Amino acid sequence: MTSHPRPIEVTDVRLAYQLARNRAGTAKEHLINLMRRQVVYDKLWALDGVTFDVRRGEVFGIMGPNGAGKSTLLKCIAGVLHPTTGRVIVRGSVAPMIEVSGGMNPDLTGSENIVLLGTLLGQPPAQMRQRVDEIAEWAGLPHMMDVPIRAYSTGMRARLGFAINTDRKPDVLLIDEVFSVGDEAFKIKSLERIKYLMSGGTSVVIVTHALKTITDLCDRAIWLDQGHIKEQGPPEDVVAAYRGSI
Amino acid sequence: MGFDGEGIGHGLSTIRLPPRVANLVKFIVNSEPKVEYDSARPIRPLIDEFTSLWTHQQLIRLLTVRDLTLRYKRSVLGVWWTLLNPLLTAAVMWLVFSQIFNRVSEDVPFIIYLLSGILLISTFFAQGVLAAGSSLLSGGNILSKIRVPGEVFAFTAGLAAMVNFLIGLIPLLIIMVLTGTPIPWTVLLVPIPTFAMLCLVTGAGMLLAAAAVHFYDVLDFTRVLLQLSIWLVPTFYPLEMIPEKLQFIIKINPLFSYLEVFRGFVYRGEFAPTWNFVYMIGSALFFLTVGVWVFSKSWRQMVVKL
Repeated sequence: MTSHPRPIEVTDVRLAYQLARNRAGTAKEHLINLMRRQVVYDKLWALDGVTFDVRRGEVFGIMGPNGAGKSTLLKCIAGVLHPTTGRVIVRGSVAPMIEVSGGMNPDLTGSENIVLLGTLLGQPPAQMRQRVDEIAEWAGLPHMMDVPIRAYSTGMRARLGFAINTDRKPDVLLIDEVFSVGDEAFKIKSLERIKYLMSGGTSVVIVTHALKTITDLCDRAIWLDQGHIKEQGPPEDVVAAYRGSI
Repeated sequence: MGFDGEGIGHGLSTIRLPPRVANLVKFIVNSEPKVEYDSARPIRPLIDEFTSLWTHQQLIRLLTVRDLTLRYKRSVLGVWWTLLNPLLTAAVMWLVFSQIFNRVSEDVPFIIYLLSGILLISTFFAQGVLAAGSSLLSGGNILSKIRVPGEVFAFTAGLAAMVNFLIGLIPLLIIMVLTGTPIPWTVLLVPIPTFAMLCLVTGAGMLLAAAAVHFYDVLDFTRVLLQLSIWLVPTFYPLEMIPEKLQFIIKINPLFSYLEVFRGFVYRGEFAPTWNFVYMIGSALFFLTVGVWVFSKSWRQMVVKL
């Protein structure tokens, strides 16, 4: 009975955001609304019955229009958000690049952020301190290591974040629109690294609007629309179906 | 069923080995990553939180140091503000109150009474609760993107307040030496009220954090309440100043017990009455348990709003 469990299993996941109509931002307003019995909650199903799995060493694409639930789905896999019903199982270490500078602190310097983010991802800080030079080198930012990343450009932050997240081979790499901010050189370099990680068994999940990224990179893809999977399968087919709908 | 991964497991399965050995070999060679995350795992209030504090020690240490240094990073005096803040407050209060109270309530210089109160109630308690309460909002950039337990952030804020308090004890001891006040051996017992206060700050801070995520003005209310709490216990003024009939209002406040125990240890060289100890430890455990419980139960709703 040796069936290899998949690194990512998403089973019938539904996730509701509670939206209070005339949403109260403050406790005072909320109390007033409560007394007037005006608090009505709407449930917005950001994800509504999503099922898929990702294999070892596979690049899996998630595409769809704005508000389709792509980022919510990625956050569910990252373990940040919890499905209202359904189940998410992730086996192995996760490197979540949910946002360009996610997990980094603008007031800390480049090297301080390397240690902090690395530790947040579960590495010992002492080990991260030894990795600073190499990570800075890869990101092409060795001269910027003592500068607070507040002063970095968006592209530079993305490079640093990618370098930290992929420094130790994660079992699962989650990427949300990171390529859109980097220049060509960064894109090529990071694609090389992704391929290298895949060969070592890392599963990659990419969320993007860019259809080209899906067809160029992914082994399989899903098209998400209003929390539903509209189409899944080989990227060419999914992209074609998506194109046909516009 | 069926294989869908690659790896060495395939090769091994063709060699016939006793099942137990085969499993062991497969476990070692294949080193399949263990399940790291399962959304269906039930939450276990208190157990989960204390385990995660234990497993995240290095992160907590790193975040505490960051907390302590970052706050003053853009100032000239830097970390020295940690020392200067309570000292300046004590100096101002001394100017005001030494004019009002002519009678000396204790046989130590008034500045020692003041500084010890300010360090415990203002530096440790009030600032700690506020920092722990806002820790989730300020750590939102991390917490909404990486799976890190939120209690780590609240606890870190409490720890940072404790370190500020402990650093503040240095000038207090220096002043005691300068004014010729004997330093009693009970100073060595200061860790007892310190630890109790850490529990109280973390617990109350977690309650506040849970509320602040939903409504941001809760922090504003709290700031006022904390200011008030500093005045509701004899931080700046001697207890005798309050009419005997009304002193119960002060004594019913758990913070009063912390003050009594701490001042007893740090310069009076005596143990506060037993009820103070009971009240102190009881309230510390109560707030810690309730805070962690509420935090644990509401975490999944909180993280959506970060």
